[in-house]
Amino acid sequence: MSNTVIYDRGYRSYGGVRKGQSSIRWAIARDGIRRVLGLRRKARRKIFPWTLLSIGLMMAVVVIGFHFAAGSIGGGFEESLPSYANLFDVYSWVSLLFIAITGPELLGPDRSQGVLNVYFSRPMRVTDYLGGKLLAFLVVAGAIYVVPQLLLHIGLAALSDQGFLGYLGSHLDILWKVPAVTLGFLALNGGVLAIISSYVDRTGIAAASYIGVLTAGGGLAGALAQAGFPGSRFLSLLALADHPRYVRDWIFDVDLLRYTPEVHGFAPWVSAVVIAVVAVGGGWWTVRRYRRLA
Amino acid sequence: MQSVTAAVVATEGLTHNYGEVRALDRVSLEIPPGITGLVGANGAGKTTLLRILLGLIHPTAGRAIVMGHDAMTDPLSVRSRSGYMPENNCLPKDQTAADFVAYAAELAGLPKSEARQRASETLFLVGLEEERFRFLGDFSTGMAQRVKLAQAIVHGPELVLLDEPNSGLDPVGREQMLDLIRRLGAFGINVIFSSHVLSDIEETCQSVVLLDGGHLVRSGPVEGLGDTSNITIELIGHVEPFIAELRRHGLDPTAHDQQVVLANATDEVFDLVRDTTAALGLGILRMTPATRSLEDEFLTRSGGE
Repeated sequence: MSNTVIYDRGYRSYGGVRKGQSSIRWAIARDGIRRVLGLRRKARRKIFPWTLLSIGLMMAVVVIGFHFAAGSIGGGFEESLPSYANLFDVYSWVSLLFIAITGPELLGPDRSQGVLNVYFSRPMRVTDYLGGKLLAFLVVAGAIYVVPQLLLHIGLAALSDQGFLGYLGSHLDILWKVPAVTLGFLALNGGVLAIISSYVDRTGIAAASYIGVLTAGGGLAGALAQAGFPGSRFLSLLALADHPRYVRDWIFDVDLLRYTPEVHGFAPWVSAVVIAVVAVGGGWWTVRRYRRLA
Repeated sequence: MQSVTAAVVATEGLTHNYGEVRALDRVSLEIPPGITGLVGANGAGKTTLLRILLGLIHPTAGRAIVMGHDAMTDPLSVRSRSGYMPENNCLPKDQTAADFVAYAAELAGLPKSEARQRASETLFLVGLEEERFRFLGDFSTGMAQRVKLAQAIVHGPELVLLDEPNSGLDPVGREQMLDLIRRLGAFGINVIFSSHVLSDIEETCQSVVLLDGGHLVRSGPVEGLGDTSNITIELIGHVEPFIAELRRHGLDPTAHDQQVVLANATDEVFDLVRDTTAALGLGILRMTPATRSLEDEFLTRSGGE
């Protein structure tokens, strides 16, 4: 006769540690990062984000390659090559697409699949939920800006005549300029996406709406600003996509393009204020919307 | 409501309006520990009541105390000690059952490793073993209902609110779900579950709350709900003279074939039945207390047909 015993494990009530709101926000952020990057999801969910991330990195590698080639040729040719400020534009379409998908993917499916009913039955507030989602957005969307820049920084340091550490030491300003510009891009894009994503459930439609607002909005703002009626120049501030770039040029002290607000006489700090207003307004609107949904 | 510390839920004058529509109307009730059924037709206010108890919506008037906490002013304390299984679909299609249930546990504050372990155990408990690693989008309705139940209990709640847990299940699945609910009660978890199916409540619950059009129809133990003071008498012989004789004495019997039902059967009525049958030469085959099903009770009290 066998000595095997079968136990019905039944149900254990839980009397252990229960963590607080910050732990819950981290759990939401972790889940959001996994969802956007397709981690612990089916293989096809990984294709889009990882392809875009790879393209962003490849662009940085290409720029490093140009610097390497120019350095070999000599003659100061590398001065005219794209560097940190330009790199934001070199892969701008990649970051635009990536962010256009990231924002809606973080908010839309929870609503369309009814999962909010479960989440808000847990001991968390709307601000905990949205705080976790914001954290996930900053990490994932921030990576698409920062990681290629980091690669460029390391690549240029490796190629530098000053030596690796010498180059890093003489370019310490990059350590705040790149994060500051990245924050500008994320704040503006995040504010716009938060509003769109809190209403549009389908990721594709929300992404297309966001791209439409940024691209068509810029042209429309330029045309309206030139209409010549009193105060029309203020409408140039509706060229939302120009603000982070204008601030970027200000921070890096370069003049890469003429932006619509700049053409109509606005200083770069005005663009910084517009970015802050869009970010705060988008956040406020989204919290308001979710308080109704919860 | 200070006197009802033993009650899991106590409400006082709970009223909720959706615009012009009154979903709950001055509902005052006390729900004791154990398994409680929440019965009512569509629009009776069951889901509204459950959502108010979780502090998800604020009532227009009145208050609700859940496990000693005010659901309006202290909803996080209520939710940390309770679980909720919504009626509608609430599962992310692109996650595995194990990941989703573990995530649900983390959202209740459980540490990550503990959440994963409890997710496995809870899914095992509801009958999902190897299936827990499948994506939820591939689950049948029955499996999805089990995952919904698992996420509601994974964090060790003292009270579970189940909104139509048998919705969409076939008879076998329904019976299995009722068995799971009974097991939760045996594990010491207080359960409130709403259902349209009155027999489910009768089979599973110790107490019941009947709602109709936002009004509380009845709240109390299921046991004794069907007890009445009526009796059913099955006679041998002609029933008509017996009926006529009872009516002559001011009673109001109703007859179906050989069965006669009498309301308010007191000792005097029993004596009259004995004497009348003896005088008419009838035989009494059976005389039993008449019981009413929960459905009879619901239809009577809600004014249904």
